[in-house]
Amino acid sequence: MKPIASGMLLCMLMAAPSPGATVFPYKYHQETLPNGLTVLVIPMESGGLVAYWSVVRTGSRDEVEPGKSGFAHFFEHMMFRGTKKYPGPVYDRIVTAMGADANAYTTDDYTAYHLAFARESLARVVEIESDRFQNLDYAEPAFQTEAGAVYGEYRKDVTQPFFLLDEKLRDTAFDRHTYKHTTMGFEADVKAMPQAYAYSRSFFRRFYRPDNTVLVVAGDVEAKATLALVRKHYGAWERGYVPPKIVPEPPQKAERKAEVSYPGQTLPILDVAYKGDALDPGNRDFVAGLILGDLAFGSTSVLYKDLVIRQQKVEFLTASFPINRDPPLLEIAAMVKKVEDVRAVQEAIDRTIEEFQARPTDAGRLEAVKRHNKYGFLMGLDSPDAVAGSVARFVALTGGLDVIDRLYGEMDQVTPQDVVRAARKYLQPQRRTVVVLKGAQP
Amino acid sequence: MTGTRSVQIAVLGTLAGLAATMGTAAETKATLPVRQVVELPVRDDPTVSFRIWLKVGSQDDPPGKEGLASLVGDVLAEGSTQRNRYEKILDLLFPLAGSYSASVSAEMTVMAGRIHKDNLERYYPLLVEAILEPAFKQEDLDRLKSQTLNYLENTLRYAGDEELGKAVLYNAIFAGTPYGHVSEGTIASVRGITLEDVRGFYQRHYTRDNVVIGIGGGYGKETLDRLRADLGRLAPGKPPEVPPPEPKPIRGRQVVIVEKDAQATAISLGFPIGVLRGSREWYALAVANSWLGEHRNSSSHLFQVLREVRGLNYGDYSYIEHFPGGGHLQMPPQNAARRRQIFEIWIRPVPNEARHFALRAALRELKLLVERGLSEPQFELTRGFLGKYVLHYAPTTMERLGYALDDRFYGVDGSHLERFRRTMGEVTLEEVNAALRRHLKVENVQIAIVTRDAKGFRDALVAEAPSPYTYPTPKPDSVLEEDRQIGTFPLGIKAEDVKIVPVGELFVK
Repeated sequence: MKPIASGMLLCMLMAAPSPGATVFPYKYHQETLPNGLTVLVIPMESGGLVAYWSVVRTGSRDEVEPGKSGFAHFFEHMMFRGTKKYPGPVYDRIVTAMGADANAYTTDDYTAYHLAFARESLARVVEIESDRFQNLDYAEPAFQTEAGAVYGEYRKDVTQPFFLLDEKLRDTAFDRHTYKHTTMGFEADVKAMPQAYAYSRSFFRRFYRPDNTVLVVAGDVEAKATLALVRKHYGAWERGYVPPKIVPEPPQKAERKAEVSYPGQTLPILDVAYKGDALDPGNRDFVAGLILGDLAFGSTSVLYKDLVIRQQKVEFLTASFPINRDPPLLEIAAMVKKVEDVRAVQEAIDRTIEEFQARPTDAGRLEAVKRHNKYGFLMGLDSPDAVAGSVARFVALTGGLDVIDRLYGEMDQVTPQDVVRAARKYLQPQRRTVVVLKGAQP
Repeated sequence: MTGTRSVQIAVLGTLAGLAATMGTAAETKATLPVRQVVELPVRDDPTVSFRIWLKVGSQDDPPGKEGLASLVGDVLAEGSTQRNRYEKILDLLFPLAGSYSASVSAEMTVMAGRIHKDNLERYYPLLVEAILEPAFKQEDLDRLKSQTLNYLENTLRYAGDEELGKAVLYNAIFAGTPYGHVSEGTIASVRGITLEDVRGFYQRHYTRDNVVIGIGGGYGKETLDRLRADLGRLAPGKPPEVPPPEPKPIRGRQVVIVEKDAQATAISLGFPIGVLRGSREWYALAVANSWLGEHRNSSSHLFQVLREVRGLNYGDYSYIEHFPGGGHLQMPPQNAARRRQIFEIWIRPVPNEARHFALRAALRELKLLVERGLSEPQFELTRGFLGKYVLHYAPTTMERLGYALDDRFYGVDGSHLERFRRTMGEVTLEEVNAALRRHLKVENVQIAIVTRDAKGFRDALVAEAPSPYTYPTPKPDSVLEEDRQIGTFPLGIKAEDVKIVPVGELFVK
C-alpha cells in the first residue's frame, strides 16, 4: 500500500461555490449499466480521500411479510459475513489493512454500505464490494450468531424514551403500510430472527440486485477510470429485483391517540404527528410542507420562543417533516416539564397550526428558511464521505441526483400562500396521531 | 406580564455589572499575541471554522458548585448578549445556517462555530458578542439549569445504560479529585448555582490570558486580526492552575454495581495510566489498544471474541484516552483533552444471563494480551491499519482545527495525527509489547456494572461461581472449549470491594 503524503492532512481542498441557480455544487458523472446498476461519480479535491457508498434501495419499508420486521437491518449485518472468495474474517482483514473507515446503516427506505479510504485502494474496494454484493455466502450458524448481535443492538436502544415513543407512534398511526414498524423491528420478530435463515437468502436474491442499487463514489477519483472499474467488476451481476408488494396506507379518517409508559424516569414527551406526502419535487404542497416545519415549530418560531424560551414549559420542541419514498409522518415533539402542562402544550401547538392555516406567513421569515436550507446543505458537504452521505437518501428514493436541484429550485418558488395551503392540507385533525410518553415517577 | 417585568429588572442589574467589567477591559485593551493563536488556513475552503478555547473546565468547579463551568459555557452559547436577547440571536443566526456551541470537558472549554464565507460578516459579531458580552440573564440560567437537571436526573440515569456505566467508572476512579464528577455536576450542586456564581466564574476564567484562538478554513488575515483585537478586550488575569488529579491507587478488583431494572447489563472497567499522546510510548500503546479494541471497528479483538464469535452484544472496545459520546461518535472527539487518562474497556449491553461470562471474557482477554503481547502478524496488521486509519479521525477543517488545539494542550510539537502516522512506520513490536506490559495491569481494576439483581450478581462474583453460557444456537467445539475456560476464569473479587448503588442515588450530590 502506497502511503499517503504526510502533508495531506493540511491540504484538503473544498471548492464549493455559493448557492446559485443550482444547489449541488459538484459536477458528477452518472451511468446506468446494462444490468440496471446506477453509478454516480463525484470527483472533488479531497487530499486523496475517497468515499464509496453502495446504496440499496431497500429498507424496513420493504418488510412486507408478517413476522419479518427488522429484516433489512439484520441483513445489513449479514453483508459483513463474507463470500467464498473473501470469507468474513478475510474481508475484515483486507479492510483493516487498507485502513478504511467502513460501516453501514439501515433506514426505513434504504440501506447504505460505506467505506472511506485512500485513493490507492479504489480498485481493491471495487473488487471486494462487487464480490460481496454478488456472491454473499454465509452458513446458518454465522447467521444465528449475528442475530444475537442484532438483539444486543435492540437492547441498547430500548432504554431510550424516544425509541419506545417511535415504536408506539408508528404502530398507532399506520394500519397497513410497513412504516408501521421501526427499522429495528418488533421485538418478537427480532427475537425470532435466528429461525429465518432460508428467508434471509431470499431477501438477498430479491433485493440485492443491480437494478435496486446505486453506487456513489466521491472524492479524489477520475470519472472515466472509476466507471471502467465498476463496469468490469459489476457487469456480470444479474438483474432480478423483485419489488415488494407494499400496501398503501388507506386514508386516515379520524384522529388517533395513544399513551406509552417508559419504565425509567423521564419527563413526559408529547408527539403530534400528521400523515404527509412522499418526496415529489413537483408537488408544491410537499415542498411547502418541508418549509412549514421550520417556520411553525423550528427554533425561530413563535411557538418555540413561547414554550422553550419565555414560558419555559417545555425542555425542547422539535419538528421532523421528513423526506420519504411513501407518505411519512410529519412530527412535532415536545418534552414537557410538568405532566399537567401536556394538554396546554398541545393546545399551543393547535393554535399555531390554526394561525398558519389562517394567515400567510411573513415573507422575510420564509426567505430566511430558504436561505438556511441551502446554506445548511452546502456546509454539510465538507468531505467526500459527507457528500456521499448527504446525497444517499436522494439517490435511494429517486435513483439519481437531479432531484436535489429540482427540490431546491421548487423551494425557491414557494410563496406564503403555498405555506398556508400546505398547513391546511396536512395539519388536519383526521390525519393526526397523538402519542404521549410518560415515565416512572421519581 | 409579571415575567416581562422581572426580566427588565434583571437586564438593568446585569448591564450595571458588566459596565464595570468592560471598563476594566478597555483600560488594558490589547491584541492577543500570536502565541495565543492556532491557525489552520485552507485557502479554497468556502467556510470558516472557529474554536475559541478557554483554559478552564469542570476541574475548576468550586467545591459544592460542580457543573458551574459547564453552565457558564451553556449561558454563553445559548443565552442572551448585552446586544441581543437569545430569541433574537436565534433569528439572526438562522438564515446564515450558522451556529456556535460550547463544549466543556474536564480541562477545556471550547466555543466552536462554522460559517459559510458569504455569511461571515453577519456571523462574526454574534460569535464575538457571545464570548465578550454575555448578558447573564436569570431566565437563561433557569432554562439551562433545567436542561442540565433533566440530563442528570433522567437522561444519564435512565436513557442509556452504557453512558451511565462509563460515568460511574470515571467518577469512581477519580473520586475525591477535580475529575471526580461528570462535567454537568450533581443534582444538588446545579440546583444551588446562582447568577452570581456564573458571573464570578466568567470573570475569573474568561480572561485575555486564558484564551486561545483556533481559526481554520477560508478566512483572511483581516478576520484573524479583528478576532485578536476583539478577544484582547477580555479582562486580563490568569487564574491559578489546577494541578493534575492524583487518583487513589486501585487495590484489587473494585466493583460498583448500579442497581437498576435493566433488560441488559452494561459493563465498563479501567484504571489510570501514566502516558499521554505525543510520547513515543503512547503511540506504541495505541497499537496494542487498537488491536484489543479499536472504537466501533470490527478489527477490535474484543469485538471479535464477544460479538462476532458469540453474538453476545453489539460491540466491545478499549481506550487509552477519554472518549465521551462513544455511543454516537464513530471517531474520537476533539477538545476533551486531559492530563490524566485511564485505560478503559467498554462492553456494550449483554443479556443479564451473560453478564458474569462477559466480564470474565473481557478481563481474560486483557490478561492474555499482557502475558503474551502482540504477535508479529497482529502487530504488522494493526500498525499498517492505524497508519492509514487515523486519516479518518479528522477529514474536515473543523476536526483538524480541534486536533491542532489539542496539540497545543498536550504540548505536541507539530501535529499529533501526522506523528501518529509517521510513528506507525517506525515503531517496533518490542516497543509495543514493552509499553503494554508497563501500562496495562490486570490486577488492580475498577469495574462499573449497570444491572438488575445487584445482590445476586455480587454474591456470584464474590463466590467465583462458574458462569457457563448457553447459546440459543450451535457453536463449534473450539468456542465451547474456550468458553469452559472463560466460565471459570478467576476474578478475585472480595465482598468488601463490591459496592451496590441504587440508580436513583447517583449524581445526587
